[in-house]
Amino acid sequence: MSGEPALAAAQRWLHDALVFPRRADRSGIGDRLVGSGRLSGAEGLALYQRGYFLRIASCMREQFPALCHALDKALFDDFVADYIRERPPESHTLYDLGRRFPDWLEENRPDRDFAPARRELWIDFMIDLARFERLVFAMFDAPGHEGSAFADAATPDCRLRLQPAFALGAYRFPVAAYYHAVRLGGPAPLPPARESFVALVRTDYMTRTIALSEGHYIFLKAMAGGRGVEEGIAAVARGLAMSADEVRRSWRAAGAERQRWIDWRFFIACD
Amino acid sequence: MAAARTAIPDLPKLGLGLGLRSVHFDTILGEGAGDLWFEAISENFMDSGGRPRAVIRAVAERYPVVLHGVSLSIGSSDPLNRDYLQRLKRLADEIRPAWISDHLCWTGINGLNSHDLLPMPLTEESLSHVTARVNEAQDLLERPLILENPSSYVRFVQSTMDEPEFLRRLADETGCGLLLDVNNVYVSCFNAGTDPAAYIRAFPCDRVVQMHLAGHQHHGTHVIDTHDRPVRPEVWNLFALGWALTGGAATLLEWDDRIPSFAECRAELMKAERYMHARSGAAPAGPEEAAAADGVSNPVGFLVPRVMDSVALEGA
Repeated sequence: MSGEPALAAAQRWLHDALVFPRRADRSGIGDRLVGSGRLSGAEGLALYQRGYFLRIASCMREQFPALCHALDKALFDDFVADYIRERPPESHTLYDLGRRFPDWLEENRPDRDFAPARRELWIDFMIDLARFERLVFAMFDAPGHEGSAFADAATPDCRLRLQPAFALGAYRFPVAAYYHAVRLGGPAPLPPARESFVALVRTDYMTRTIALSEGHYIFLKAMAGGRGVEEGIAAVARGLAMSADEVRRSWRAAGAERQRWIDWRFFIACD
Repeated sequence: MAAARTAIPDLPKLGLGLGLRSVHFDTILGEGAGDLWFEAISENFMDSGGRPRAVIRAVAERYPVVLHGVSLSIGSSDPLNRDYLQRLKRLADEIRPAWISDHLCWTGINGLNSHDLLPMPLTEESLSHVTARVNEAQDLLERPLILENPSSYVRFVQSTMDEPEFLRRLADETGCGLLLDVNNVYVSCFNAGTDPAAYIRAFPCDRVVQMHLAGHQHHGTHVIDTHDRPVRPEVWNLFALGWALTGGAATLLEWDDRIPSFAECRAELMKAERYMHARSGAAPAGPEEAAAADGVSNPVGFLVPRVMDSVALEGA
């Protein structure tokens, strides 16, 4: 680039050679890099190119262990190679590496131009599993409520709010069950399609995944938007064609969701 | 920056320390770590709202801590990332590290981050560029920056000076301190076919506040800075030289891949005591561990937590 400072030009050249190794200008290596008695410029550059991919692939495998298990390491690594070529890392933190991966998988599925009914189910599963694993990974280091008081049974409904380290997911497959099967090292066959709803809540730096019914999901989804219990009850009543009184009775029944979710520390008490 | 220049000699001589790694958190906080100090990777803690932030607070209450960054990208031709520096300063204000360090390198351009510590062309232009950025970073952090010599596998045709000269002039211009990684010296010099002891003798050791030790893999034609095994005898010899020339700078072992138990890391670190009063040539040659096919320079896998270990299934 005419007029570009030499430092910027050298960095642009080397960075392009790392991120886009297939289109790297190999003929220019001798003009840029000095060889030594032990390593030529091209051999030194190859070490950086190899290290760039291996370093990021190892981090991605840590962020998506169940997906890596499902796809097998070689195929997972192939996806990662394509992903980082199209979406090179942007953030100073490695925790961000997988943020765009589920959407990238969705955008690059080979059957994306087909009608939904004609698409491959296993691809749907892999994308849902990636979305779930991203949620789990983000929960690990999200702002939480450790060290502070949670709501208890005496907290009135009007003061219940979801705690900060809480997330919800809705999937076309039982991805949480698959994740735990991989985690425990047992057999983990690819499951058949079945809608699943999951809550993630972190207490004492341990993330718990909890299977939900659709009604629970609707209720908590409303609360996750910053609303209170009454708005959650109204959302369930609308979503499941029930009366609000019926939902309210269910919510407050002895041993029902209210007590269990308070025990699992879903809630804090707002002022 | 006069304030930073006068601060370097006042920085403490911390003795021997270890890199703070998540696999050792429970041991350090549960069983204690004696008189060690710890180096925490800044990026693993500065954005944390989870356990890492709680752990570093607890560790910093009991042990001296320094912050060591891998993404400041002080040499990049991109604008300095002030948001990153503000996050780093917030963490530093909270845990009060003895100092903050990073590398003489760049990690990316055009808003991208390779997550590698890439080498600089060592030119007058680069020196001027980095000098201005170190001054800016020190002003923002309100403390001197400590910069480390990276391991490298290439050199630029356009370079007009060697690394010790570059770092000496940078330190003179900015008042920054230096971190002398003797394993990086060995790796870079072996790969370039130059003399690592001559490198250290030329290094501005009066500016060094910290040294790094680590293991590397030998691949015959070249060596890779893998941090995955014990320190090699050649590197211990360089440490002995560095220890003497720096007057006993704080010394830290980095073990970042295939990380053994805390006790094994500590035992490896304690070998340093044998070399503190010996000169180059003291270490006996040891057996060479086989190089691994997947050995990678500056491994970062240890920076990503094994989240599966902190997930449980609760009943519906």
